[in-house]
Amino acid sequence: MDKAAPLLADLLAFIAMDGCTDEQFDQLALRLFAYQYESNAPFRSFCQRRGATLRKVKTWSDIPAVPIDAFKAMELRSEPALPGERVFMTSGTTGRAARGRHFHPRLDVYDLSMTRNFARRFMGGAGHMPMGILFPDEQAMPNSSLAHYLALAKSGFGTADSRYFLTPEGLDLPGLCAALEQAERTGQPYALLGASFSLVHVMDALRAEGRSFRLPAGSRILDTGGYKGQSRELPLEDFYAGLEELLGVPRTHCVNMYGMTELSTQFYDDGNAVLPSVKSGPHWIRSRLVEPVTGRSVVPGERGILVHCDLANYNSVTTILTEDVGLWAEGGFLLLGRAEGAAAKGCSLAVEEFVKAAAA
Amino acid sequence: MKVERITAGWLPGLRDDEVQWHVLPFEHGAEPEGLRLEVSVPVLTAAQMQALAQRVREAADRHLRAMPVAGIIDAIDRVIARLLDRSDPFRREAEAWLPVVSGYDADMVRLGLTGFFKTFRAAQLRRFVAEDFANPAVLDGFQPVPKGGAVRAFGPDLLVHVWAGNVPALSLWSLVCGLLVKAPSIGKLASAEPLFAGWFARLLAEVHPPLAECLAVVWWSGAGGDAGLGAEGAAALYGQADTVLAYGGNDTLAALRQRLPVTTRFLPHGHKLGFGLVGASALDTLKAPAVARLAAWDVMRYDQQGCYSPHVFYVERGAPVPPRAFADYLAAELVNLQQRFARRPLELEEGAAVARWQQAVEWGSGDQELIGPVDAPWSVAYGDSLQALAPTALYRTISVVGVDRLDDVVPVVSAQRVFLQTAGIAASPEELYRLAGLLGAAGVTRICAIGAMSMPEAGWHHDGRFNLIDLVRMTEIEQSAEAAAQPFAPYAD
Repeated sequence: MDKAAPLLADLLAFIAMDGCTDEQFDQLALRLFAYQYESNAPFRSFCQRRGATLRKVKTWSDIPAVPIDAFKAMELRSEPALPGERVFMTSGTTGRAARGRHFHPRLDVYDLSMTRNFARRFMGGAGHMPMGILFPDEQAMPNSSLAHYLALAKSGFGTADSRYFLTPEGLDLPGLCAALEQAERTGQPYALLGASFSLVHVMDALRAEGRSFRLPAGSRILDTGGYKGQSRELPLEDFYAGLEELLGVPRTHCVNMYGMTELSTQFYDDGNAVLPSVKSGPHWIRSRLVEPVTGRSVVPGERGILVHCDLANYNSVTTILTEDVGLWAEGGFLLLGRAEGAAAKGCSLAVEEFVKAAAA
Repeated sequence: MKVERITAGWLPGLRDDEVQWHVLPFEHGAEPEGLRLEVSVPVLTAAQMQALAQRVREAADRHLRAMPVAGIIDAIDRVIARLLDRSDPFRREAEAWLPVVSGYDADMVRLGLTGFFKTFRAAQLRRFVAEDFANPAVLDGFQPVPKGGAVRAFGPDLLVHVWAGNVPALSLWSLVCGLLVKAPSIGKLASAEPLFAGWFARLLAEVHPPLAECLAVVWWSGAGGDAGLGAEGAAALYGQADTVLAYGGNDTLAALRQRLPVTTRFLPHGHKLGFGLVGASALDTLKAPAVARLAAWDVMRYDQQGCYSPHVFYVERGAPVPPRAFADYLAAELVNLQQRFARRPLELEEGAAVARWQQAVEWGSGDQELIGPVDAPWSVAYGDSLQALAPTALYRTISVVGVDRLDDVVPVVSAQRVFLQTAGIAASPEELYRLAGLLGAAGVTRICAIGAMSMPEAGWHHDGRFNLIDLVRMTEIEQSAEAAAQPFAPYAD
């Protein structure tokens, strides 16, 4: 796309910078908004229903936030579909049938966003490290943004002996134990990355076998995504205490990544010694906390629904309305879980109960 | 912020300092003129609960069972008269505090209470009893029956109530039912409305003290699970109850049923999904706006929290006012009602649910559209094709669906049989009876006028059941016993 080429070049350069001013962020956000508004018809009509036009949107926070459900309902894209383009899909574990789709005609923006941020927030400047991945690989899950993310981590930051420990047959516990033992033996720091529920399975399996490890100093663990009903619901306190106890990685080095299929940028905390941990992102993503019906920002100290403006989302929409509840904290925000429907107080049937009954 | 404190519950025979109290906080309005209400609710130990059950049972034996139903009706009527008297201190408390705990508009609560209480006057209560018992005297003593012999109705030995919150004073229904069948009662307050049941007991204590001895009002957390506050007391009470009447979602009810001995009678009232039907005959240019106004009242009352509240109005095509225009009228009435009775402020989760419902309409694959601004404190979705009957997000979010014929709605609603209860109908008399037959077969148990959906009449059959008959057991003296007794009479030849 000729029209998009200079924009993309500027975006890549923007991500490569070490930071930005408010003006710089706004300027690029508005250029991307104009581009998406013009190229993306469903988004344009959404904006028009919200009374947001190119003239009225003056700063990033004026950009209408598209609810993540919209990724399920229609194709949110600015570039036409390309053969072989990557499509990341939501897992569809939330009880709703349709899966959200996020189209990536090219991955260089996503990849740069991931690697720049990962290098700083997870690797912390460390060089290559042996890595164990507790998630299927990209061949097994070509539509998973997490599979791609972890593949990038492994190829960009892992040593040659890094490998996957989740096979179609399940968890390769002997293989994992062997890798952990080797790390203990050599003293080379080790990184274990994967879905939160896979780590629960690993901990359960280690406990069942009565095994535990003391990984060398500098080792680290990355978990993401919560349990999604795929493992028992472990309170976060027990989860991180378990990782520290069974793998010998201090909680300061157990990092949780908060990402979404609908975004191209991730948030991290600086370890989970204190819960809930504070999440923050790089300079190319900004967040708001809003009151869900009016979309207005909540006053500081009040919980709100997270809205993210991710400049790396160049093809879909920069600004999305999540279903996650957040609270501002020093240096970022606390993630307080999903905004599940409040327990019905009256006697009228609530959607959540109905959906549950229908699924049963 | 001003802090007020209220002690809730009703514990005959127990001193306040003997029991543990738990504080439920409610906040109303923003700083600085905001108000914090702290309601203290009693949490009993197993031993205290057992003693309380024993005490209300004994009191019922002494006072309630000996009292004719007419006398009980008279006492309740005097309580209700005071609740209807806006200068009465209890009524003033109710008007002041129920809006604070529920968050509802104060005028909405005031009107709702009056409309509700007036269905419990003596005349209505007599009708209520007559509704279930052809001869109400069976509640007072053995009465001859046509087949021969005699029969008497006995209420439960101990009736336990588990109330839901947010429809203020909901507990009145089951409290009155319990009294009419002369049952000693222990009720569990809803955390969302922990006030009314205690006030009712206190009023009863002023009007006719012995009656108030026959009931107690307590609290425990949630459904009284294994771990929660007061779980011990709840378990003790469940073990003693012979009938448990409970309001709540199916999850809560299922959890509760598991905790009851198999011999305990369980009367659950689950959450329901109301809807309305508007026929072409009600849709001329004069009648349609009036029906829409009534429909809006049904949506507005208690912000759709009642089991009878509407979620969807099905509107027939082919009349001068098309369904889409009806939806506009409804939206306009909701705007008006917002001026008079503002929607209560939503919690973040409630707001998120409303937003998600709106988004589903806006981005859904169907032909639905959202009428009005998304940030309005009401929301009307209009759809031109029939879809599965599903709940809206409540808090004045309503669907209007255009249909070719009202009959088309029947298979759609019958698919949700277990959730059916109230259907409002605006149609001609012939249509009313014809549709009522179809809807009744589909599972609907209450058919009423649009505008009356959230105001059930006195003596209604809640969820299609008999409010009083379901509580009693009949004791029969068979003819054989009567005949066999004759030879043992002192005057026997």
